[in-house]
Amino acid sequence: MKPPPFDYHRPRSRDEALFLLAEHGDGAKLLAGGQSLVPTMNFRLAQPSVLIDLNGVDDLAGIEQTGGGILVGAMTRQRAVEQSAPVRERVPLLSETMPFIAHPQIRNRGTVGGSIAHADPAAELPAIAVAAGARLQAQGPAGSRWIAADGFYPGLFTTALAHDELLTAIEFPTSPPRTGWAFDEVARRHGDYALVGAAAMVCLEAGGACNDVRIVLLSVGDGPVVAASAAQLAGEAPSDDAIRDLADAVTHHDVDPPGDIHASAAYRRQLTRVLTGRVLRRAIERAGR
Amino acid sequence: MIVEGSYTLSGPRNAVWDLLQDPAVLAKVLPGAKRLDRVAEDQFEGEMSVGVGPVTAAMFSVRVTVADKNEPDSFSMQVEGKGPIGFTRGKAQVELTDQDGGTQLTYSADLKIGGKIAGVGQRLLDTTSKAMTKQGLEALNRELEGRLTGAPVAAPPARWPVVVGGTALILVVLVILLLVL
Repeated sequence: MKPPPFDYHRPRSRDEALFLLAEHGDGAKLLAGGQSLVPTMNFRLAQPSVLIDLNGVDDLAGIEQTGGGILVGAMTRQRAVEQSAPVRERVPLLSETMPFIAHPQIRNRGTVGGSIAHADPAAELPAIAVAAGARLQAQGPAGSRWIAADGFYPGLFTTALAHDELLTAIEFPTSPPRTGWAFDEVARRHGDYALVGAAAMVCLEAGGACNDVRIVLLSVGDGPVVAASAAQLAGEAPSDDAIRDLADAVTHHDVDPPGDIHASAAYRRQLTRVLTGRVLRRAIERAGR
Repeated sequence: MIVEGSYTLSGPRNAVWDLLQDPAVLAKVLPGAKRLDRVAEDQFEGEMSVGVGPVTAAMFSVRVTVADKNEPDSFSMQVEGKGPIGFTRGKAQVELTDQDGGTQLTYSADLKIGGKIAGVGQRLLDTTSKAMTKQGLEALNRELEGRLTGAPVAAPPARWPVVVGGTALILVVLVILLLVL
């Protein structure tokens, strides 16, 4: 199937894109990599009357090292982030996650900003942005503002962006010293949407106790789910028992996963337990190195 | 697809029952409901606008038949919904019990879902139905509180998801479609 007719615009600047967005309101959709939007349009599930193509706006892509971390332009292709040495060095959690996103062909066109703004509950990048404590830069008619990733996803397929705002960049903070990270997901075939995914960031004190533990899950709710139980490891030396107890706590208290033909809710809970334990152990091991 | 759960409403059972049988209230609280008319004693027909995330809102025609009325304890509904992105058919059961001055509404529905959304949107049926059910129940509760206090009904919270759902059945409970790949 092919999409029904729509109007197409290819702005050459951010201002022009913002103007078009404001002018067309709800009927318009922004086109970034098109890897989620275009298939939805081809199925006629999405039927925007206006498409605003951001691929002609020059200054929205790029990977830049800043004082605080790495600044990734919203239109940066996922493949560029995957291959970036500065990203691997400063935000290893992001590097580790990239190969899990769909397939290389999709990552060639898909953008970091597109995935973050699309807010699919099964997407990896929104969960990583939250786990890494990233902040999002949004530009609207009144100017630019920064939004913390934690709180950027208030509901299903919803972000904190206003209707007339454009996501322009994402800043991932540099991993502090003695910080470990890990990401893992389970899908029936490599490249499929994750049945469940988990990201962990752990910071260890000099004495070996956990200072800051962050666990974020995907495909278990409306968006990235931050495991509130992670706080129970703070101040403790991470023993096997403590890790197992935490994985149990996350499974029972922090998630209410959906069931569908791909996986039952019970199976997703089991995956939550296993993946939480796995990424936590890996992150702790890396933090100690 | 099984959709079930419970929600506590802040009002007595009779008031909740009356609201549930009033198409004007249902049209107001069901996410995306454009019109819901009583066409016979226990039959309603209407239209709902359904869409979530990138899925553009599309119109669905719905038909609901209420049965097994046991005022103010329970009732069941046969529901049918049909639209360009899919269709649904099923039966739902609603039960009301007293709880600490309020009413516990328990619902259980068995829906058959077909068409485009069932074909490409399986992944999100459950999450979307939960989100829309929650929206509808919260709206019903605001309506109930408004009626009981006589005050104007509170506005929905500022950050309502753009999700506009099609529920049909049980008032809040059943959700119909929408999905995304």
